[in-house]
Amino acid sequence: MAFHKISITINKESEQVVVPSNMTLMQMLRESLALTGTKNGCSAGECGACTVLLNGQPVNSCMVLAVECDGAEIITVEGLAHDRQLDPIQEAIIESGAVQCGFCTPGILISSRALLDRNPDPTEDEIGEALVGNLCRCTGYARIIEAVKKAARTKAIIAQSIPTD
Amino acid sequence: MSLNAHPGLPEFEYIKFENIDDASQFLANHSGDARPLMGGTDIFVRMRDGAWSDKYLVDVKSLSGMNEIANNPTGGLFIGAAANMNRVIAFQAVKENYPILAEAANSCASYQLRTRATIVGNICNASPAGDTIGACILLGGILNVHGINGTRQEPLSKFFLGPGKSKLKAGDIVTSIQLPIPPKGMVGKYIKHGRNKVSDLAIVGITVVGWPDADLPSGLRIRLALASVAPVPLVVDQVETILSEKRIDEKTIAEAAQVAMSACNPIDDVRASARYRKQMVRNLSIKALTEVWERLKN
Amino acid sequence: MIKASATNFPSPVGESKPRIDAREKITGAAVYTDDLQFGSALLHARIKRSPYPHALIKRIDVSKARALPGVKAIVTGQDFPGYIGLYLRDRYIFCRDRVRYVGDPVAGVAAVSETAAEQALDLIEVEYEVLEPVLDPEFGVNAEAPLIHPDLGKYEVVNFIFPKPGTNISNHFKLRKGNVDSAWGKCAAIIERKYRIPHIQHVPIEPHIAIAKVDDKGDVTLWASSQSPFAQRNLIAQSLGLSQSEMRVISPSVGGGFGSKAGVSMESLAVAIAMKVNGHPVKLRLTREEEFYTAFVRQGLVAYFKMGCDEKGQLLAMENKFYWDGGAYTEYGVNITRAAGYSCTGPYEVPNVKGDSYCVYTNHPVGGPMRGFGMPEMHAGLEQCIDDLAIQIGMDTVAFRKLNCLKTNSILATGGRIHPIGLDQCIEKAAEEIEWEKKVPASAPNKRRGKGVAAMWKAPAMPPNAGSSAWVELAEDGKVNVGVGGQDLGQGAFTISAQMAAAALGVPYESVRVAVPVDTRYSPYEWQTVASRLTWSMGNAIVNAAKDVRRQVLDLVAEDWEESPDELDIVNGVVISYKSEKETPLKNLVIYGLPNPDGRGWKGGPIIGRGNFMPNDVTGLDAETGQGEHGVVHYTTGAQAIELEVDLDTGRIEIIKGVAAFDVGKAINPDMVKAQMEGGMVQGLSSALFEQLQLKDGFLQNPNLVDYRIATSTDIPREMKSIIVEVPQDDGPWGARGIGEHSMVPTLPAIANAIYDAIGIRFDGPPFTAEKVYLAMLDAGIVK
Repeated sequence: MAFHKISITINKESEQVVVPSNMTLMQMLRESLALTGTKNGCSAGECGACTVLLNGQPVNSCMVLAVECDGAEIITVEGLAHDRQLDPIQEAIIESGAVQCGFCTPGILISSRALLDRNPDPTEDEIGEALVGNLCRCTGYARIIEAVKKAARTKAIIAQSIPTD
Repeated sequence: MSLNAHPGLPEFEYIKFENIDDASQFLANHSGDARPLMGGTDIFVRMRDGAWSDKYLVDVKSLSGMNEIANNPTGGLFIGAAANMNRVIAFQAVKENYPILAEAANSCASYQLRTRATIVGNICNASPAGDTIGACILLGGILNVHGINGTRQEPLSKFFLGPGKSKLKAGDIVTSIQLPIPPKGMVGKYIKHGRNKVSDLAIVGITVVGWPDADLPSGLRIRLALASVAPVPLVVDQVETILSEKRIDEKTIAEAAQVAMSACNPIDDVRASARYRKQMVRNLSIKALTEVWERLKN
Repeated sequence: MIKASATNFPSPVGESKPRIDAREKITGAAVYTDDLQFGSALLHARIKRSPYPHALIKRIDVSKARALPGVKAIVTGQDFPGYIGLYLRDRYIFCRDRVRYVGDPVAGVAAVSETAAEQALDLIEVEYEVLEPVLDPEFGVNAEAPLIHPDLGKYEVVNFIFPKPGTNISNHFKLRKGNVDSAWGKCAAIIERKYRIPHIQHVPIEPHIAIAKVDDKGDVTLWASSQSPFAQRNLIAQSLGLSQSEMRVISPSVGGGFGSKAGVSMESLAVAIAMKVNGHPVKLRLTREEEFYTAFVRQGLVAYFKMGCDEKGQLLAMENKFYWDGGAYTEYGVNITRAAGYSCTGPYEVPNVKGDSYCVYTNHPVGGPMRGFGMPEMHAGLEQCIDDLAIQIGMDTVAFRKLNCLKTNSILATGGRIHPIGLDQCIEKAAEEIEWEKKVPASAPNKRRGKGVAAMWKAPAMPPNAGSSAWVELAEDGKVNVGVGGQDLGQGAFTISAQMAAAALGVPYESVRVAVPVDTRYSPYEWQTVASRLTWSMGNAIVNAAKDVRRQVLDLVAEDWEESPDELDIVNGVVISYKSEKETPLKNLVIYGLPNPDGRGWKGGPIIGRGNFMPNDVTGLDAETGQGEHGVVHYTTGAQAIELEVDLDTGRIEIIKGVAAFDVGKAINPDMVKAQMEGGMVQGLSSALFEQLQLKDGFLQNPNLVDYRIATSTDIPREMKSIIVEVPQDDGPWGARGIGEHSMVPTLPAIANAIYDAIGIRFDGPPFTAEKVYLAMLDAGIVK
């Protein structure tokens, strides 16, 4: 089986990685780069624990080959904070008590961040639909949805208070 | 099959070609051992399950034109085979002129899977459960296919031959789907019925499109397609006939829905029983037909 | 200067403090077992499993697999003759002569990669002689059913479990109280029902995983996603002929347990394989598919209920019979059947009871502990019967429950009386919050609306000597480190450990850390993280350890200030004297002690506190009558109320509102208690509406997330309300009892009762899928 050398940017850092054809992006992150924040819950595109941003869009990294990501930009949960400053969605998840075992949390954070990037003021129904591919067995989801709404408000306040001239 | 699913993907070669002819030729030469790779959401699941064991996956996403979505005021909508569903849903011309396609695509799986899944990939898999297939058929979709003997077009209405079986031959690569300009005033409705409220695959899917047609006694042309209740995506022509010939009201809609129910032959499987599927075809056809009719009336 | 005093600083107990482990979880830094890095010495294991539900193993040939490049070791049952099990030793680590369920481990491979190990499996040849399987527990108890465990009579078993050798019955719990036969005649209404509760699975988002390494002394280290590091050490060591101290178990963060990661399941496989690979660590992880059919499942239940009341609605008699589909091995499941046996009346006072709870071997996946431990399965039918009985006697179902429910000092079905409880308050508050009296019209012509309630009880089901221990130490900066053996599965055990230690010691919550990961080499003993027992049991141990520290500190300072320790206190990390108003922060004395006034030497030294807790007064329950003065440590009780709509076009159920009220004694962290109530309600509604392991001829038809549906973010109630009732538990820390499991127990029957209210239909078992509901309405003529 052939190996491919790929160039990929992960959490704003450039990497060169050699990957076999059949390695998924999830496996590359976890096993080749020790970025273990992205989790393996099913390897079948169903649970969402492996969700990362690929060129700004959320994907199940278990359903993407590493070799398909040559030249791509990836953001994982480790890249959500801005220089140790937590992203509003991370703060909100903590404040809302929306994390328990934490295994679904990285995927939830990525999907939520992507949602707020494309829809800064989502309704509860829109949040629910955006997160339908992220299974959680602990929290019952209500606090997660509340956290996303809270993060949307925070981000709106931040956006308003940034001076533009 | 799932009982013995492998932890990861089996070994295979990942191949890309610069030139579509080379890709077609390779696929033809390795027929049975090679497959075009688009979104991968179907392929990887089946490979892990052991159902598919291709030696070669040929990534066709970067071939010329595959990623484009373009709207032509005379030609219609052109969707490259590699354009993912989220892009299609968000495309302005889709929202304006083909909202039924966006509605159907939006019901698929999850946002993450729609970032990878493609309309064309869904069609090529020829699963009768495909959510967007009904809309594509009813919209008069045509596939542009590049094969070892050159390019050709395959109208969707004749494309499906059985579960997982289509007119595609070894070496074929679908490069795009074209949707002609829809008739003026067309509206549509897709109702997907799954086990959960959202995100399941369809255990029954109802697509209805309709538009004003002064040539018809009823004044409306309404067409209906069903997912998951036959070996192929099923267009029920008789529904169109009834609703074009008779005055449309609650009674004719009920009659049409009854016909849809009789026309399909779903199976019992781990997801639903044939009996329930038939009942849902009828009930949800009434809903979808009624909604389309109401919107056309106004 | 503001003088410190106890009133200036609220106790962290009772406050909704933020999770102590939140930050690492939201940054991706939290380490779960598959995240551990072992370098290139790591080997990967895969398991060869039985393809049949019941068969004899005639021959195993591993020679071709052994020759595959990359394969380092292959083991079979021949290598491991020891039995293993928690309450009943009925299982080998690898099958030796017989396989008893599809998926039963037959051989294990360690190789340089997961792929190589997987390829080796195909090269292992196994010859089977297929046997007739037992696929139903009622069939299983018949004399003509094939015997799944012919050696049942020889298995080691604890003295509170009663297997019947020569049968497939691995436990029979009997409850006999009063005289049911003569009571029926006095009943004004009698209900008889049968329910079939299917198997379901925990579906933790993190599948099972274990990594084991054996060093050259033969000492074992096991890293596992585990609720029970100490129990795993104990059981695996015993089975392999090791001494417990020769084995070390470390459990990093756990991505959900719900009972599936308690006791021992696949962890023993990793250890067994590791014994044959000369010091390499061996990683074994289950695929999601394996998680569905080879990890613990929740056993199925066939339940018969008969209950009667007088004309005033007072319950007079219950005769309940449970046949548990325990699966291939019931080493853990036997206790579930016992718990259901002694709880078989539900949370009601019933003077005449006949209860029989049978744990039956079947050739199905292995039943084990799942959230509720028999209570959800039992209440599923029981609470529907209560409703039916109330309706038959013409009484409101909430009023019926309030009349009959256990109250402080009520007599239990097992004899003895119940401690102070607030169950009637829970029922009342839940009913009030759902506006029980108010009939709400359906939101559309094609909907039907209904409301339902259900009550519940559960005691921690554990041996009478399940113990907890804790240590507390401080660093030079005066901050605190608490050692515990209980595991945080997400429920918040570490957070409340810190809160309780802080409160008992007198330091701010923020200055307490918990020594994680739980590691049997350094952490103090904890029986298991199950049974919703940690807040109560481990909490008591922590309090004792903190008090031990307090005593050492106050004795030291008292001596130094020449005062009585009774006049001293620790407040906000500062030792203060109420008498002299002197103060000194803890950091000045916890490591180096205090200097003697005459400059000659020092007194005190490094402060370290220890504490333990074990219930001392649990009596047995009589083998023939199930009677005993104090059979369990306590009960947590509660109720839920559900308002829902049924869609007449599709049968789909939508939950409009879910209300939960539980008596937790004392909410150490109220927000986390509410989070348990919400999570449990959603897991409960998921089991009610979607979940079923579809077993056909012993084969699981839906071992994946596509076809085993669980609740998603769009399936939750539109509104959830969680109500905390606090009737203190006299022997609990600050009066606390557990809540982790209870929140899932009444949900299903509350939904069933609401469905009945909406459309007048009952089902013989869940899940109440849209299909099941619709076809029932069609058959009943409610829709055409």
